[in-house]
Amino acid sequence: MKSIMKKEASIAVIIIILSIVLSFINPVFLTIDNILDILKGNVVLGILAMGMTLVIITGGIDVSVAAVTTAVCVVIGKLLVMVPDHIGALFLLLVIACLLGIILGGINGFLVSKIEIPAIVVTLGTMSMINGIVLYVTNGQYLNSTDFPKVFLKFSNIKILGVSILIWLFFLIAILTWFLLKHTVMGREILAIGGNKESALRVGINFNKVQIFVFAYMGFLAGIAAIAQISYTKAVDPNGLSGLELSVIAAVVLGGTNIMGGRGTVIGTILGVLLLGIIQNGLILARIDIFWQKVVVGLIILLAVSYDHIQYKRAQAQLSRIEIDS
Amino acid sequence: MSEYLLRMEHISKTFHGMKALDHVRLEVKRGEIHALIGENGAGKSTLIKILAGVYQPDFGAEFYFEGKKVEIKKPIDAVLKGISIIYQDLSLFPNLSVAENICIGKDVYNKSWKRVNWNEIKKIAQKVLNELDFQIDLYTPVEKLSIAQQQLIEIARALAFDSKLIVMDEPTASLSSSEVEKLYHIIDRLKQKGISVIFVSHKLKELFTVSDRFTVLRDGKYVGTYLKEEMDEEKLITLMVGRKVQYERSQAVNHKIGNVILEVRNLSKEGNFKDISFQLKEGEVLGITGLVGSGRTELAQAIFGVNNPYKGEVKIQGEAVFISSPEKAVKNGIAYIPENRKIQGLILEQSVINNISISILKALRTKLGLIQRKKEVDLAERYIQAIDIRPAAPERKVGQLSGGNQQKVVISKWLATNPKILIIDEPTSGIDIGAKTEIHKLLRQLASEGMGVIVISSELPEILAVSDRILVMKHGRIAGELNIQEATQENIMNLALLGASPANHHGALSTVTQPSKGAMM
Amino acid sequence: MKIALSKENILGLIALALFVVMTIIAPGFLSAENINNMMFQLPEFGLLALGMMVVIITGGIDLSITYTAALSGVSIAMMQSHGYPMMISILVGILIGLACGFMNGFIVTRIGVSPILVTLGTMILFEGVILSITKGNSISGFSDWYNLIGNGYYLGLIPLSMIIFIFFAVVTSVLLGKTYWGRCVYMIGSNSVASLFSGINTSRVILKVYLYASFLAAISAIIMTSRYNTAKVDLGSSYLLQSVAAAVLGGTEIQGGYGKVVGTVYAVMIFQILSNGLNLLEVPRTIVNVIMGAILIAVLVINFAKTKLGNKDRMQVTS
Repeated sequence: MKSIMKKEASIAVIIIILSIVLSFINPVFLTIDNILDILKGNVVLGILAMGMTLVIITGGIDVSVAAVTTAVCVVIGKLLVMVPDHIGALFLLLVIACLLGIILGGINGFLVSKIEIPAIVVTLGTMSMINGIVLYVTNGQYLNSTDFPKVFLKFSNIKILGVSILIWLFFLIAILTWFLLKHTVMGREILAIGGNKESALRVGINFNKVQIFVFAYMGFLAGIAAIAQISYTKAVDPNGLSGLELSVIAAVVLGGTNIMGGRGTVIGTILGVLLLGIIQNGLILARIDIFWQKVVVGLIILLAVSYDHIQYKRAQAQLSRIEIDS
Repeated sequence: MSEYLLRMEHISKTFHGMKALDHVRLEVKRGEIHALIGENGAGKSTLIKILAGVYQPDFGAEFYFEGKKVEIKKPIDAVLKGISIIYQDLSLFPNLSVAENICIGKDVYNKSWKRVNWNEIKKIAQKVLNELDFQIDLYTPVEKLSIAQQQLIEIARALAFDSKLIVMDEPTASLSSSEVEKLYHIIDRLKQKGISVIFVSHKLKELFTVSDRFTVLRDGKYVGTYLKEEMDEEKLITLMVGRKVQYERSQAVNHKIGNVILEVRNLSKEGNFKDISFQLKEGEVLGITGLVGSGRTELAQAIFGVNNPYKGEVKIQGEAVFISSPEKAVKNGIAYIPENRKIQGLILEQSVINNISISILKALRTKLGLIQRKKEVDLAERYIQAIDIRPAAPERKVGQLSGGNQQKVVISKWLATNPKILIIDEPTSGIDIGAKTEIHKLLRQLASEGMGVIVISSELPEILAVSDRILVMKHGRIAGELNIQEATQENIMNLALLGASPANHHGALSTVTQPSKGAMM
Repeated sequence: MKIALSKENILGLIALALFVVMTIIAPGFLSAENINNMMFQLPEFGLLALGMMVVIITGGIDLSITYTAALSGVSIAMMQSHGYPMMISILVGILIGLACGFMNGFIVTRIGVSPILVTLGTMILFEGVILSITKGNSISGFSDWYNLIGNGYYLGLIPLSMIIFIFFAVVTSVLLGKTYWGRCVYMIGSNSVASLFSGINTSRVILKVYLYASFLAAISAIIMTSRYNTAKVDLGSSYLLQSVAAAVLGGTEIQGGYGKVVGTVYAVMIFQILSNGLNLLEVPRTIVNVIMGAILIAVLVINFAKTKLGNKDRMQVTS
């Protein structure tokens, strides 16, 4: 058990060190408000990263997440200005968002599993298509919150125990994903496939079903992330999420999920999301030019994956040692 | 109830118009250990895969399990009926725990939306591990276990599934001899529990140790089923190959052993091997043997530059060199033919031409640096002719050739570089007996032309058939050196196991007639 | 006599058919002006796609390729706007592009991290570097001569950039098909371990692959900056996924080991004819993207169906 959590522990240590340094640079960092801001600002990233964790564990990847989320945002945005100002309508929209996400994710899953097209190619294709449709429909125009029903605006401002409902939503999704991965048969099958696909087939795991599931779940979370995104920005911006898919992948990888599949935890991904969030926030607080953010993030990704790989190689070398007579 | 647990009849399988199996039958009694034997390509694996539900047999096949006619459409059907297959490469999940690996797919574990019952999993896993007398932490990820331990996990899984029949495909291939002993023990235990075992192997000696009956296949056809008592090794070999085969020591070419071409002094690599010193002369075949895991392959790969960094000295023709990469090894006239042909030796999706030319390609360029395709094709055709690669189709992808012909392609690749030193690791693994002797002859012939050849092999008859001198390794060190005149299977074994040669050599020197007898591992 | 249709030939026919269809249905498609337009637009994308293809053949991917281009484009722009001579600026721009490629290649080969992760990291890094240098502004101020590269004609007929593209397409084709390095690229893409064990210096080959891709990216950047007369952070960024798509559509195996220049060139042409023709048909730009994505997936589905039918009983006898 100890060794399994080693990766997560080292990310946690990095986060702690970074936090200490940042709080010296700017005492604002450690205030509760700031921390809640960081969390709230990364809810969308975090929700998507949960789904991406599962996709990457099975050895796949989904670069269409930002596009799917945007598509759902746009549809929900259009509906928001039409629906009556009633709590039931809100609930209905949530259901629609999730269903739409599941359908779009399911298409990816179908193409990856049944047609056996590599996940990166499939999702590149669907991403390009979805983005095209979204821009065609919206003309790239920003949709403002002025016409949104009041109940929706109220919803997005709810705080429970002083914490925004969006943050609660994120934790709810994290717990759901953790439970799924840890305690359901589907979750174990996801890990099993990532561990050894051939063996999974031999013990009768339905590979297609699992693959379709992870992509559909990714889509489902994209639906939820869309609601969170609209709530957070109180607007629908067809270009607002462009490039987010790479941050999502970065967060998952930083969190210790192996890009070749087979390994990954919810805790790790949460830490990965936090790390990205803290870096961004810290750079702002440290009054470092906003343009340097990406440099830092890029460097951190490179260092993290390099370090991880060196560790892996060392472990392999250790495994292949043989006993020598002295 | 019939005394037979499993009856398979009229099993045929056609691939691409070729009959891989032709009306084969297999009958296994309850609680018996049944050996399935045959040369490579005889159809053992195909039969097993049909039993496992990986392949579907041709029309007309009949399948009875526990007296009832059954159909096995996909792998899970076999598992649910109580047939477990332990493949050579195992079916484990390195990232999951011992307990999960044992229970995965079992009914505590089959509805996707169900919650995993961890308590149940722990209970089942612990119970079957106890039955096997195997003490291990249930939470250890399987990737941390040795191959032998992983195999036990597979057997435990079979027990957890209440299997009535366990098929073991070459289970001893990567075990040390003490681990093999333990496995025999476990198999005995399974037998006592009334579980039948089909044991696939081509190591005759161990088959006689464990099995009750033999079913022999040859060229996809059923030869017969025999009781152990009515068999001996020689008879079995005759049945397997349909004729008498011997490894002849091809000493016909009288050749001279020349100057030292390779000298290794105090070569060490931490965790691999230590203080290795030896010499190789022109025209000499040096055999290196020892148990799997004794550091033979690691040593060869260090000399070839893929296992760096090492300490010590390597001299080629008296000149000290440091070989840090295969590229340098090639420049120094060293060729290395790895055991793992499909991963390390060949590029299966590429043509025979491209595989043969790759290591010498730089020399086939014009002054402008362009490859001369004509020369490349000529080169390939020359070797196809010279060492008889079949089919003689240079454009064909190497992956479509048989094991023996694939090995010939690798050998061609290296002969094309005109090496001074040829290191060949398990030269005939996965190759049938006919092709084996051909390769042995080729190695002898190369030596007679002045090349220094190092043959690494676990098969003692092979080592005895081709070598002039034999080094025996044990735990990363050289345990001893034997001249071919004094070497016997017994004293090699003693060195490999005990690190010492006993004073009295028993037996004649020339017990080199039967293949596979006393192959060690 | 039977003429075997390779993947590439089929693509060529598709490109041709599209050209004919567009000539018929799109008004003005065949006009000199429009043909010219296409010829000016194709080279920058084509060069990036070729670079991407070479990387994909080794089984890798270069997500940083467009930011590599942008970084060298921005450097050239900055140097020129600060009064450095054109040639020196171009040279420095190419060197900076090569440095980006070296960074990718170095981490991939020396440390062994998978290319998708490395280039994901460097992509964000290069973008950050550009942002920090330019503060998000666009930079212009090129010499007249420089503007000729992307806008000028050779012999008053063929765009200069097209000549550059054809030159590099031929060079790439020769490098891949006829040189030791090219052969090694395919061999490594099929099986890198066996390649190493055959005496190939795999690290050096792969390092050169990333250098070559970044070199093509820098050339593409020169054409782009010259054509747009400006350079900023998103220079060519829309080409990233398109170049992967073009390589894959062109028959390049995403797992490595196979890919041909001619296939990629046909794929680039298909994209160009489509986007241009649909544009003339007044189909919105955005829908063009949708159609391209659909084509990519459709081609792969067809490929799948084809191999599925062909493979039905082509399993090997295993022993």
